[in-house]
Amino acid sequence: MGGTFASLMSPLSALRYSSTALDTASVNIANASTAGYTRRVVDAVSVGAAPQVSMWSRPAGHVGGVEVTGVRRSVDLLLDARVRHEHSLQSFLDLRASVLDRLEAGLGEPGDNGVAALMSDLDAAWHDLANNPGGDAARSQVLDRAATLADGLRARARSSATEAADQRSALLALVAEVNTVAEELAATNGKIVAAQQSGVDANDLLDRRDLLALRLSELTGAQGTVRPDGAMDVRVQGVSLVDGRNAGRLTVASGVTPTGEGDGSPVSLQVDLGGSTTPVPTVSGGRVGAVVELLDVTIPAFDTALAEVARMLADDVNAAHQAGYDLDGNPGLALFTYDPADPAGTLAVAITDTRQVAASATPGGTLNGDNALAIADLRGAETTYQRLVNDFGTEVAAAGRLASTQAVLTSQVDRSREQLTGVSYDEEMVAMVAAQRTYEAAARMMTVLDSVLDTLINRTGLVR
Amino acid sequence: MDRVGASRVTQGALVAASMASLQRRMEGMAAVQEQLSTGKVINRPSDSPTDTTAAMRMRSALAQQKQYLRNAQDGLAWTGLIDQTLGSVTDQVRRARELALQGASASVSPAARTALAAEVRQIRQGVLDDANTDYLGRPVFGGTTAGNDAYDATGAFVGVAEAVSRATADGVRIRVDLPGTDVFGDGPTSVFAELDALADALEAGDETAIRASIDALGSRLETVSASRAGVGATTNRLERAVQQIQDSTIDLTSDLSDVEDVDLAKVLMDLQVQEVAYQAALAGTARVLQPSLVDFLR
Repeated sequence: MGGTFASLMSPLSALRYSSTALDTASVNIANASTAGYTRRVVDAVSVGAAPQVSMWSRPAGHVGGVEVTGVRRSVDLLLDARVRHEHSLQSFLDLRASVLDRLEAGLGEPGDNGVAALMSDLDAAWHDLANNPGGDAARSQVLDRAATLADGLRARARSSATEAADQRSALLALVAEVNTVAEELAATNGKIVAAQQSGVDANDLLDRRDLLALRLSELTGAQGTVRPDGAMDVRVQGVSLVDGRNAGRLTVASGVTPTGEGDGSPVSLQVDLGGSTTPVPTVSGGRVGAVVELLDVTIPAFDTALAEVARMLADDVNAAHQAGYDLDGNPGLALFTYDPADPAGTLAVAITDTRQVAASATPGGTLNGDNALAIADLRGAETTYQRLVNDFGTEVAAAGRLASTQAVLTSQVDRSREQLTGVSYDEEMVAMVAAQRTYEAAARMMTVLDSVLDTLINRTGLVR
Repeated sequence: MDRVGASRVTQGALVAASMASLQRRMEGMAAVQEQLSTGKVINRPSDSPTDTTAAMRMRSALAQQKQYLRNAQDGLAWTGLIDQTLGSVTDQVRRARELALQGASASVSPAARTALAAEVRQIRQGVLDDANTDYLGRPVFGGTTAGNDAYDATGAFVGVAEAVSRATADGVRIRVDLPGTDVFGDGPTSVFAELDALADALEAGDETAIRASIDALGSRLETVSASRAGVGATTNRLERAVQQIQDSTIDLTSDLSDVEDVDLAKVLMDLQVQEVAYQAALAGTARVLQPSLVDFLR
């Protein structure tokens, strides 16, 4: 033994250690389902006597104890980086798939109310007109169905335009959220550095930091790197967004006006940080990346294909219609009009007078219906539309498949992370019982020492 | 206690896995449920892009067949009316020829010949009415004329000698009208001129002219019969076209059903499987999530 009372120090350190262990177990249980909470583990070392107290003295006994060196978060930085990466891909693919689903639902194919059915209806009307070129009913039926088809194509163009407008507002909202989260992360970084310098437990701040970085990755596909001082830097496509305690501002440089209108050019983003502005290369991950891709690639491609259908329909029918003659024997006029800048959105029927429908292939106002048959036999627009549906369906199916494949990967890394950081009640129960027993044993130890000292102090020299 | 990298299963992981698998089962049930309630395997293009295109083609082809059937039936109405009219024309021309044969006999009195001539003029009017027979306002012997008549009162052709055709298949056009000039002739060479000449000859008692009319009407009868045979052939073509259209409609409908519609037995089986899987997942979740060491520590 060292000093007379030194022996009491060992059980005391055990009491301290076990109360820390109990505290940690109860905090773990309390936060078992808190988002972003990582399991805390108590690190302890055994304390022996100092090997050399001073130049001429050596410790005489074997006094020791246990010392809590810290409460550590059970994390793996590499795994966290992978979680951020997979989550950024997942949110990219999920958003893309859900928007494509919506656009696809707007097509209404295959069905009795899609554009393909409207095209068949118009063909049937041309046939009826060919059977009865003089009938006013047959003529107005052609015009009505042509107008319905034009309406149908315009409705598809409008649903795509609405989706684009929604996505533009979504982009502005997302960018605002990115900036809020980035500011919060920078502030958290500052607190972490301060806490670490003053030796305060920064674990809760570190959890918060990881949660915010994950959110940034989901939003923008950003990559985070942890500094030695515990702060996390975040880069979007290599452009620094959060640098220590400084947060940059992500802004939309072109493509979307502050009021959510499109300005005709592709979407580009930039980051203002520390007085300098850096353009961000094409964002390829996260929700922002998905919105940018939808606005720049997917929706324009759909619009172009739809415009091609409308343009082909109008041009083919107009050419054939103008080659024929109307009921008064005059050459046919253009049946459809459209603005070449936006064929699908502006397609309309130009003729209102039913006599001007050019059913006849010969002049002279006869009841010839050959031109109506020739128009009914036009298949260009129908084939182009079928190709559009096929291509778009393939794209939607591929997007859905990619998203569900990614979901497997994402849930796998989530599971790995949960394995490492998740709280297990059983473990905590075991830890709790172990700490309780340690406490009891240490207390018992104290009782024994107390009784030993009692013997020494009160009974030494007494002879009964 | 802290086994980094080892497989550690926590309550959180169990909950997440249970939720995920329940969700998956629900998705499976929803997919089967959608197929059952819509009766379709393809509910959107992405369900199967290739089949969607095939279904769209078939739907378009079905709509075309439906229209071709309407066209062919319209054509049958034309040829039926023409055939019927030509029958009436044949009867009338034959009657006129019989009247001419009666009038050609030397024993017939002038008064009787005048009566015969009056009947011939009646027949001429009857044949002219037949020549102007119309279907839904269009003279069937008038080609593509926009007017109401194929012949005017003098027996001159006033129609437009262009074909009236019906599309009965892709690229197939069947001519359903009969040019009036083929049957009735035109102006001086028309059946009307022949009947006029007969009536005039009867009134004048000119036996030579009456015999000439008998020959002319005889050859006219042959012309009408030949035309009627031609119309019969057209009717046959149209009827065969109708048959073909109905056959291909049945084929297309069954093909479309193969592509689009659910196999009810299979889907019900799928539903059963999904239901069992869902219930198993529910039961498993309930039993896995319940216990922990907490329950056993006193």
